[in-house]
Amino acid sequence: MRLINLTPRFWVAASLVIFTLIVGLIGPLVIHVDPHATIGGLYDKPNFGSVSMWLGTDNAGQSVLANLVHGVRTSLFVGLLAGAISLLIGLVMGLVAGFQGGLVDDILMGFTNIALAIPSIVVVILLSVAVNHSTSFSLALVIGVTGWPWTARAVRAQATSIRNREHIDVARLSGARWVNILGWDVLPYLFSYVVMAFVLQMTSAILTEAALSLLGLGASGSVSLGIMLYWSLAWGSVRTGAWWAFLPPTLMLTLIAFSLLLLQASLDEVFNPRLRRGRSKRRLAVAGTPAAVPAAGIVNEPILEGDRS
Amino acid sequence: MDFAKYLGRKAAWYVLALFVALLLNFLLPRLIPGNPVDTIVSQMARGGGASGEQMKQIYAHYMQQFGLNKPMWEQFLVYINQLAHGNLGTSFSQYPASVNSLVGQALPWSIVIQLPAILIGWIVGNLLGAVAAYRGGWFDRGAFVGSLFASAIPYYCLAIVLLYVVGVWLGFLPVGGGYSLGLTPSLSFSFFADAITYWWLPFWSLVIIFVGGQAIGMRSMAIYELGSDYVNYGRGLGLPDSRIVRYIFRNAMLPQITGLALSIGGMIGGALITELVFSYPGIGTLLFSAISTNDYPVISSITLLITLAVLGANFCVEIAYGIIDPRIRAARSEG
Amino acid sequence: MTERMGRLNPTGSRLLDAQHLSAAYYTPEGNRVVAVDDVSISINEGEVLGIAGESGCGKSTLGAILSLTAREPLVVENGTLEVDGKQQHLGPRSKLPRTWRGSVVSLLPQGAMNSISPTMRVRDLVFDVMRAHDRGVKRSDALDRARDRFEELGLPGRALDAYPHQLSGGMKQRVVTVISTLLNPRLLIADEPTSALDVSSQKALIDMLLQMLDNKIMSGVVFITHDLPVLRTISNRIAVMYAGKIAEIGDAEQIASAPRHPYSAALLGSVLVPEPGFRNRRVKGIPGSPPNLINPPSGCRFHPRCGLAMDICKTDEPPEVGDLMRFSTCFWSQQHPGVPVPVDKVVPAEEATMVDASAPELATAEEGV
Repeated sequence: MRLINLTPRFWVAASLVIFTLIVGLIGPLVIHVDPHATIGGLYDKPNFGSVSMWLGTDNAGQSVLANLVHGVRTSLFVGLLAGAISLLIGLVMGLVAGFQGGLVDDILMGFTNIALAIPSIVVVILLSVAVNHSTSFSLALVIGVTGWPWTARAVRAQATSIRNREHIDVARLSGARWVNILGWDVLPYLFSYVVMAFVLQMTSAILTEAALSLLGLGASGSVSLGIMLYWSLAWGSVRTGAWWAFLPPTLMLTLIAFSLLLLQASLDEVFNPRLRRGRSKRRLAVAGTPAAVPAAGIVNEPILEGDRS
Repeated sequence: MDFAKYLGRKAAWYVLALFVALLLNFLLPRLIPGNPVDTIVSQMARGGGASGEQMKQIYAHYMQQFGLNKPMWEQFLVYINQLAHGNLGTSFSQYPASVNSLVGQALPWSIVIQLPAILIGWIVGNLLGAVAAYRGGWFDRGAFVGSLFASAIPYYCLAIVLLYVVGVWLGFLPVGGGYSLGLTPSLSFSFFADAITYWWLPFWSLVIIFVGGQAIGMRSMAIYELGSDYVNYGRGLGLPDSRIVRYIFRNAMLPQITGLALSIGGMIGGALITELVFSYPGIGTLLFSAISTNDYPVISSITLLITLAVLGANFCVEIAYGIIDPRIRAARSEG
Repeated sequence: MTERMGRLNPTGSRLLDAQHLSAAYYTPEGNRVVAVDDVSISINEGEVLGIAGESGCGKSTLGAILSLTAREPLVVENGTLEVDGKQQHLGPRSKLPRTWRGSVVSLLPQGAMNSISPTMRVRDLVFDVMRAHDRGVKRSDALDRARDRFEELGLPGRALDAYPHQLSGGMKQRVVTVISTLLNPRLLIADEPTSALDVSSQKALIDMLLQMLDNKIMSGVVFITHDLPVLRTISNRIAVMYAGKIAEIGDAEQIASAPRHPYSAALLGSVLVPEPGFRNRRVKGIPGSPPNLINPPSGCRFHPRCGLAMDICKTDEPPEVGDLMRFSTCFWSQQHPGVPVPVDKVVPAEEATMVDASAPELATAEEGV
């Protein structure tokens, strides 16, 4: 395993992501308000009187703040679930194709290439029109089932190159079943790719859910950031200046997308040091010892002695 | 490999993909429970004044029109046949408007905000990325974070913010639509002058994001190239920085050009929600209303067009690679 | 026996003076690794100075400093270069004149394989190089001059029109050599030019370098390599580097036959050379490995591996024993001036048959038949 050097950028990204997670997971518990309960009229302005009115009400007289935190939770849920589904399918397809090679590889990759060629937004729209989601679970399923091709192709490329490495041959010769080989020998090398792929899939899933909801294809029964935006647009909150109805979900969505993408970029730097700027651009080849010596040695500046005449 | 053979294989795959897409476009909307003709007829009935007998006739007539009384596979053949003739069908909710005319009206609006945005975004973004990679230091850090932010904002979020800040709060630019009420689209100067004010905001909301995305990509490529031997050697021979940057540009360009081709291919479906936010009369708004009225000829036509454009762009890029690639592939294998 | 016999001897007038060169790498973890530690060398007109040593001794870094091509994470911390009466100070904030590179000092890099951008032809690079130093030069003139130079050195003119991937490895190396000397630099610094080549390509390259020197295309060569037989073939003088410092410097023959530094002796003792008299010698490696330069040993840096080490070697920096053109940095040499080091005593007896993994490459090179 390589020496993983975490950059400041990574910590910024990680803290933003954790912040989002806290809002989504703990938020609804702390803000103990029912998002579906009517607490006021159309677009009541925020006032700091009661917690539920901190962000005013939306078009249905419901608490924007409550909807917001529940919406974050839903978006995260969809993102995680759909991302996991896509990752799983893509991982399995890619590993099997890359590792087995031959006809299996050709068939699986042919299937993947066609799936890749057809724009996923199209499939997702068509499926959503047909299925008419009522829960975010079905939405997550649809998104998950359409997002795997990219991961499958990336994983397969890696698996193919790993397949021919020596320790795999050793495992094979020692009689291990190929399922075990995949799990114990191949997968650890793919770790960096798996992590990055999952972050990407999750980001894409969250954004796709928001896009679908904005188009009107969202889960009708639940609260999500996309649905909040949908209603805010439909009821002209932008035009009437009811900023509390559309700005919070917009900013929250932006925050989620930005933090996840920043995380992905920083992970890319962690796993590919060449992309790092500044003092660390090249791996050093100091004779004998790798640069893992922790103590900053105090180097003696020798004074040149002896005559030079 | 023989180029014709390469071309043939690629073409076969794309045809296959197209077929699958057609199938999906056909089948999925038809999985919606319920019958769109019911909707139309019941709407007419609500409008009042049709007797039971007339309703049955109208119903039968529409079923005939839309071919909904035939078995599935026959419907599919009819669908393919119509497509081959360039006929995208008739709209359900805006009957008797043909889908062709609806799409034809909406498409230019979509293209006019996207094409300039893609082109300008590409040029400016690549320049920004290359300069940032080469200069390094604070400029690079700022450009990187800025571009990352710009490319990470969901484009509709940026659209909403821009709309609010510039359109409502500051009141500079109009808040929705493609042109002022009361005007009809015409090729006159006064119409253009008016339409431009509606064009600014959607355009800016797209171009900022494109610039960000291109800059990030180009910067990564350029950083990678900066570590190359030829950069160091050029420096060692006394070549000025400007010349070396040109070498880097040339090597980092190819993936960026394919990115441009693919972006252009994605133009039809590229700004669906941006249009929604600005009530811009493009494909996005058309799709939105079609979805809300279950108008599936329009829905499947739009998705089909999106697919066609993307597949077409992909295919062109593959051909281009087949022509350019052997030399570059050989060059990279030596290097 | 060696090709050098047929050439003019160096004139003795000074070509380049490098004083107190120091450079360090800054690692991602924040360590400062001094790769070249206060090195001073001089090169005469018409001379080939070979620089030898194990990987990591600092010879490539020295080459980068001399050719003005040091870049992050390598920082040149101190030093002065004097050429043709012009002095240039080297330091972290020094502005190095761009035009010196290529026309005063020029680098022939390691890994010439990738030194030409894959998307340009050789002639494009040639034109750019010439134009960088003479803004008004016309393309046709530039290419004519290049073509003449190519033919003068036995390279086909059509190589100019090729893309890099169309040239073989040996041809690419020679093309890059010509490009590096297009502007007739005073000093050419060749960094491991023969390492990636087969034996016949090595000979062709060495022949070309010597011919260029004869034709006064350049006035001196610094030849950096870990390949000792090649070094002996081409060099007038040899400098042996260890752990960022010069261990010994002197005439090639003297260093080869009568080394005065234990490290030089051990280095030469670990090489297989098909010469008469060598057949009975056993191959001895140098036990141990070069020191970690973040925290080098105190006193003489070689003392942990030296069989002749005395107490003073562990505590004090050894002096330069000898004169500017020939010296050895060693206490033993100081106590036995003029006496070659007994090789058998340098490497402890029980390690004698081990071939150490860190010993320089065993290479065979033709000895100029």
